[in-house]
Amino acid sequence: MKVLLVGSGGREHAIALMISKSTYNPKLYVASDHNNPGLSRIAENTGGKLYRTKTTNPQEILRIAEEVTPDIVVIGPEEPQFAGVPDLLRDRGFSVFGASSRCAEIERSKVFARTLMWKYSIPGRLYFRAFSSLEEARKFVEYAGDVVVKPARQVGGKGVKVLRENQAYLLEEYRDVKKDFVVKLFKEMAKYVDIDAKVLVEQRVEGVEYTAMTVTDGSYVLALPLVQDHPHVYEYDIGPETGGMGSISGPGWVLPFIEIDEFKKTIEIIDNVVKALQTEVKDRYVGALAGQMMLTALWGPTVIEFYSRFGDPEISNMVPVITSDFLEMIERAVDGRLAGYKLEIRDDIAVVVKAVAPAGYPLNKKIAANHPVSVDEGKIRELGCTLLYASVEELGDGALRTHGSRAFEVVCYDEDHEKASRKADLAISYIKSLDGWPLVHRSDIGSAELLKQRQYLAMRVRRTYKARARRGLLGTSIVWVPGRGIFFDPFTSPTIPR
Amino acid sequence: MGGLLALYAFDDLWNLSNHVYYGLTALDHRGSEKYVACTVSNGRVKCYKDSKERISKEVTTPLAIAATYSNEYSDIYLGSYSTNNLEFVMIGDRDSKIMDIIGEEVTSRLRSLNTSMTNEILLTFKEVLNELNGKDIPSFIAITNKGEILAYRSSTGLTPLTLGGYGFDLALISSESRAIDILGGDIRKWLRPNELLYLSKYAVKSIQIQGKDTGHLCAFELLYMARHDSIVDGINVYKFRKVLGHALAENLDADVDIVVGVPETAIPYAIGLAQAINKPFEIGFVSTGKHMRSALRVDPLQKLIAIHLKMNPVVHVLEGKKIALVDDSMVTGATMKTVSQILRYRVGVEELHVVIASPPLIRGCPYKLMPIDVKSLLAANLDTENAVKYLEVDSLTWIKPKVMSKVARIFNVKLCGKCFGIDFVG
Repeated sequence: MKVLLVGSGGREHAIALMISKSTYNPKLYVASDHNNPGLSRIAENTGGKLYRTKTTNPQEILRIAEEVTPDIVVIGPEEPQFAGVPDLLRDRGFSVFGASSRCAEIERSKVFARTLMWKYSIPGRLYFRAFSSLEEARKFVEYAGDVVVKPARQVGGKGVKVLRENQAYLLEEYRDVKKDFVVKLFKEMAKYVDIDAKVLVEQRVEGVEYTAMTVTDGSYVLALPLVQDHPHVYEYDIGPETGGMGSISGPGWVLPFIEIDEFKKTIEIIDNVVKALQTEVKDRYVGALAGQMMLTALWGPTVIEFYSRFGDPEISNMVPVITSDFLEMIERAVDGRLAGYKLEIRDDIAVVVKAVAPAGYPLNKKIAANHPVSVDEGKIRELGCTLLYASVEELGDGALRTHGSRAFEVVCYDEDHEKASRKADLAISYIKSLDGWPLVHRSDIGSAELLKQRQYLAMRVRRTYKARARRGLLGTSIVWVPGRGIFFDPFTSPTIPR
Repeated sequence: MGGLLALYAFDDLWNLSNHVYYGLTALDHRGSEKYVACTVSNGRVKCYKDSKERISKEVTTPLAIAATYSNEYSDIYLGSYSTNNLEFVMIGDRDSKIMDIIGEEVTSRLRSLNTSMTNEILLTFKEVLNELNGKDIPSFIAITNKGEILAYRSSTGLTPLTLGGYGFDLALISSESRAIDILGGDIRKWLRPNELLYLSKYAVKSIQIQGKDTGHLCAFELLYMARHDSIVDGINVYKFRKVLGHALAENLDADVDIVVGVPETAIPYAIGLAQAINKPFEIGFVSTGKHMRSALRVDPLQKLIAIHLKMNPVVHVLEGKKIALVDDSMVTGATMKTVSQILRYRVGVEELHVVIASPPLIRGCPYKLMPIDVKSLLAANLDTENAVKYLEVDSLTWIKPKVMSKVARIFNVKLCGKCFGIDFVG
């Protein structure tokens, strides 16, 4: 079987690895923005080839597909979906795994995703307001209180301002930061002409985050084991948000701080979304759909956002876990026969994935880019870990150069997270900077201490959401405006201009 | 000992003026209205010593270090250093000559390096601190003109430091977790003894300096210094005090009607004792004006004013009763004498039994954390018989070191007990 994989990063390397283990003996072809050494090696080893191209250019990808004539095309990242790559390929008769541009709207537009959840009354939804006018947004955030300010469009998993606003004495500071941030966001969003609303303001919730990845053929939703990502760039959950500095999973289907029932509710939410989305956009969803979830006191399982693809680095956790044929799963999704597929996993291991990034990421990718690095992959393999190449390029001379984002991921497993985490640290010691530029990774991911914190937080949140559930208050925030009555929208307030 | 606070915003949108103000307010109980704040503006480190209101207005930048203290010459160390293009200021939570040595060593090594690699100051501090392995070094925070912050927890572990985070935006370091709560943050890590933490835009690093990484917290941190709502090295302060209060019952012989605590520190001890002996806990005193910590006042008159203001008795609760009066500690006995005068002459109590939640204080502090003058220590100079007479009380009970040790072991903590004449409690 011939497979064409579109994408260039660590996520695609993980997908390629799992595909290459298939009993179908696939030949893997890759359409990539740069020469990712991990991807080019798998392509070479399976008798395929890596094409350097612009993955967001549908015509380019079509040209490669026509040359390769693959049995299946797998679209890794979201931007090619937004750009219509799957649409054109399907139109030309190719079998494609990856959301169409209309289905990918669930990730591209946060406003669309939130509106959909409200329209179809799907649990786990948050109150929000969307703004296309800077002045209105500025005015609103000034009085909105405890909110999250986000770009209304997917912009590579960053640019969110989450301000816990429970301190009236710091109100002025919060307001100033929010207003300035809104101005900054509008400036950054100006380059995206594909979306009307620029800024989204939503109810802030607190709790434990986790990612629920699924695969769907449009009618059946198949859940993968839960994974937890670590968005803070520095140890101990300090510092700016990144695309993810590492992730943990297992042992088994859920995380140590999520209950089976919460897992089921989460998958129900995603199942509802798949159905609602297809009704709304009148298109079949074939591909991966992930929910970035949070266990909150408001709802229990709550949707923070959706990904119309596998999570990065979350899919990397699946590399040592999935034991059934990954390519068969993809094939069945494409053919609409996913319900008959049995996903088998190793449920006796805890997996820890850690990313390594050049210092400067994520605030200043310019200074993080173009540093020579080396890696002793043999030593990492000896530890039983897998090395994934992400934002790093092999130039002609065999040297590796960073691109400014997460350069590598190591995937390690053991009987518990702590042991897997230590292994990952050891594996990372074989990744070296050749010009002395510091490399950043988080040694605390998977540590017993961090797990204990998550468990404690989950317990606290669970106590409250279960109490709210008993009183029929899930999802509601009751506001009483004297003289006007009771409202359920937390943004209702006599001080907010409506 | 003073209270340290360091704030770092990863996003330049932040003006931390109010954060400095309220962070210092949360640490007010560790000093007596004296403050210093240092920040970076126009590539220079600038420090301000003044009222909280004034110094916080000067900090309009995304990073700052600050402290509150009582006595400028013993409670803090403040040193500023510069070399080549680098400037840094260190604030320690007590004065010590070793701080000068660290500052000068770091400066001279940086001068000879003459490069501008990131993390250089961290590596130099690490090198110098490693060479001082085994020496007593206070906890300190430092700020550089390149927008970096360093925090080091004392080699002996005597005073704590806590790292907190606020969303994706701020890192907060404080002598006490309380300040992190007040600034809306979450506790992320209790720094270990000898741990050096480095914060900059492009790196956050924690380094363990050579030496013991198990220290002994100053007993007074848990007994007196920290607020009830703080968590110190994972120990819930309120709970520790209540359990210790419970243990006080083991040594108390007297039969009393009610249990009263000296506000505010002794309240949880009194609640614990009352529950243990099954007698009512009562509010015996109400304070006037803002909360002042009498023990941290240096000037004797100021101290007396603080005591008189916070000890207005609730007469009908106390009048004619046999009272167990609980306090966390007794240094010179001046507070207790003043209170007993109020209770004897203004209220008229039947019996007054004083119960102290610490062992007798008989030695000075070798680390100079507490300003203790041995010749004025009540327990070091008066025997119990004379102490009881002087204080005009019916009995005086101190907790026994082995009872306190038992409590410390419940909380899995080893405390410094040098001022009680023993090495460790717990």
